[in-house]
Amino acid sequence: MRPFGAELVDRREIGPGQWLLAWHAPAIASSARAGQALHVRTVEAGGMPLRRPYAIATADASSGTLTIQAAGRSGPSGSSPPPWASSLRPGDRLDLAGPVGRPLEVDPRARHLLLIAEGPAIANLRLLIDEAVREGRSVVLLYGAATAASVYPSSLLPDEVEYVVATADGSLGHAGTVADLVFEYEGWADQSFAAGPTPLLGGLTQLAAGRKQRLGVATLGRKRGGGRPIQPGSPEARRKSFLQVVLAQTVACAAGTCLGCVAPGASGSVRVCREGPSFAADELDWGPV
Amino acid sequence: MKAKRKGVAANSKRTPTVRRIRPAIAPVSRPRGPAPFPPPGGRAGPSSASIAGSSAVSSASASAPRQSSASSSSASSPGSPSAQAGAPALDALGGRPVDLGVDLGRGLALANPVIVASGPFGYGAEVTDLVDLPRLGGLVTRSTSLKPKAGQPAPRMAEVPAGLLLGMGPQNPGLELVLERYASVWARWQAPVILSLCADSAGELGEAVRRIEGEAGIAGLEINLSCGGGGRGGAIPGLDADAAASYVAAARRGTDLPIIAKLTAQAADVRAIARSVEGAGADAISAINTLPGFALAADRRGPALGSGYGGLCGPAIRPIALRVVWEVAQAVDVPVIGVGGVASVDDVLDFLAAGASAVGVGVAALADPMLPVRLADELADVCRSLGVAAVGDLVGTALPARTGPASTRGAEWAR
Ligand SMILES: Cc1cc2nc3c(=O)[nH]c(=O)nc-3n(C[C@H](O)[C@H](O)[C@H](O)COP(=O)(O)O)c2cc1C
Ligand code: FES
Repeated sequence: MRPFGAELVDRREIGPGQWLLAWHAPAIASSARAGQALHVRTVEAGGMPLRRPYAIATADASSGTLTIQAAGRSGPSGSSPPPWASSLRPGDRLDLAGPVGRPLEVDPRARHLLLIAEGPAIANLRLLIDEAVREGRSVVLLYGAATAASVYPSSLLPDEVEYVVATADGSLGHAGTVADLVFEYEGWADQSFAAGPTPLLGGLTQLAAGRKQRLGVATLGRKRGGGRPIQPGSPEARRKSFLQVVLAQTVACAAGTCLGCVAPGASGSVRVCREGPSFAADELDWGPV
Repeated sequence: MKAKRKGVAANSKRTPTVRRIRPAIAPVSRPRGPAPFPPPGGRAGPSSASIAGSSAVSSASASAPRQSSASSSSASSPGSPSAQAGAPALDALGGRPVDLGVDLGRGLALANPVIVASGPFGYGAEVTDLVDLPRLGGLVTRSTSLKPKAGQPAPRMAEVPAGLLLGMGPQNPGLELVLERYASVWARWQAPVILSLCADSAGELGEAVRRIEGEAGIAGLEINLSCGGGGRGGAIPGLDADAAASYVAAARRGTDLPIIAKLTAQAADVRAIARSVEGAGADAISAINTLPGFALAADRRGPALGSGYGGLCGPAIRPIALRVVWEVAQAVDVPVIGVGGVASVDDVLDFLAAGASAVGVGVAALADPMLPVRLADELADVCRSLGVAAVGDLVGTALPARTGPASTRGAEWAR
């Protein structure tokens, strides 16, 4: 995962202060999977050398391009790209490394995927949509935003996706939070995936835990012995989990050494850059929700 | 106090701060053409360190001028490389290799003066595929304690202007596990590994040091004086000259390994601490550790970090680190390792001029793991273009002549 110079292909604003940056990075584009991130060497005022993690929102192996979504500034005087990207023009190069971290895992038998995202965190699930549609799975995307203006544009989603929106101010779709919408779809879903602020993810984890009971799904008997125990953190643990989440955290080294990216795990702290950013929801300790 | 006196006596016999190790094979004739001086091959002992350094230099000189050395030069730094950038042909040394070697005392020889400070590379084994480890001047490990430590709750990092605020706590798996897992790995490495130790008390430190004695693969110890107690009112030892000395003395009693004492700039007068640890038997001093800071969470409902306070690192603390190095270098005879905000070769030159014999790269190595190796290459380029044959000649060039004892007044009066 040594960094290399990747070329900026395109740069555009997709919503107030939200920018899509496309890079030519064939090696990463061909190996990236949903839930993984790109480590971008950003240029900081004051000479601070820093890398920031950005979810790989789309990856096209054939053209070798991938996109990330990055927050810029948006105000009365118009909006501008993220400060580190403001001087970049298509054709310019920036130092990228990736893919970082573990991917989301879809159970091969899952036909119906329920995706839940709030705000810019949609970028963490965006690639999963493409992967799922390509594999012929049905996808419902529940999306929460503050207002209609900041809703993720449906034009950036494949037609196959059922897109359901909630806004806090009721200016579009359901008036309320995205979590309110979950009840309507949880019976339909075989598996679900979420990204957004920690309180939302903690709440969804709690919802997922009570799902079987609400739906009246009986767990007949106990699975006896047999089979290996599932290793926490393994791809299998994620594949078998009804809810997977993508965590956001400051990722400074992405090599697992600095221990700056930790999150509370169900059994001790986990590194988001190594054990994550994709987790089975119950691998994490959500504290009092 | 007795131990301290004794230490001073021993120290006064010490050889000068920077002992340069010249290549065993001195070049006699000028090499023809652009080919750099060929690196002399496999020899053991301290001289091989400088040979390794020289070979790093030759490979550096073979390539075009480097981008970052030209990009961020400060007019004030001596030999600002930008002045020479674009003139790679200029070689005032006539093709002779630059001697980058540094001796930190008690046999701790570095092939070049750029090391990785404690923390960013963990125990080193995690970054073997990101870094050319053999080309590092040295590597200081994450601070390790006798017993495992869990560290602080998340979040542990916050972005602040020109720096990062860290709230890690001394998370580590404990000395036993670290030695078991890594000591034999380190023993095979070319770059010296310096094990950083933190302890709640001088007694605990002594116990840890005794446990290490005899382990292969450890080139030296760094005592992190920013964790633990022993200072007045339970303060960290780095704030209190006696407590700092008691830590270093406890380590000194238990080992013949080189000991580096890592100071904190929080001390009211770092020179007092520096003299005290020198007296207690420290072979070198590194400075500085992170400085306590605070940042608010985005919603301003509390701190940004799970630990509340955090340690500030990055370019934001560089002027403080330079001040401390400048003061300490005038106060003691042992070599000083400058740490704090190093991000470019200009920063390295600044620290050397201020009196550091070596520099440690901290947080900058997270974003750019190859930075320390590149800085050593760039340093060699600068030396070559300045006609400086040995990097030691750049050390302390900005220090006032030492005519008498260093001032005991505050930092602002030091001159
Ligand atoms: C990720 C990280 C971990 C660190 N861990 C330690 C440590 O375990 N012990 C220690 O003495 N210093 C530790 N430090 C402090 C550095 O060694 C250094 O003193 C400080 O960061 C200032 O240098 P910088 O501005 O170049 O980062 C750590 C720094 C970073 C960035
Ligand atoms: S970002 Fe450094 S350990 Fe994860």
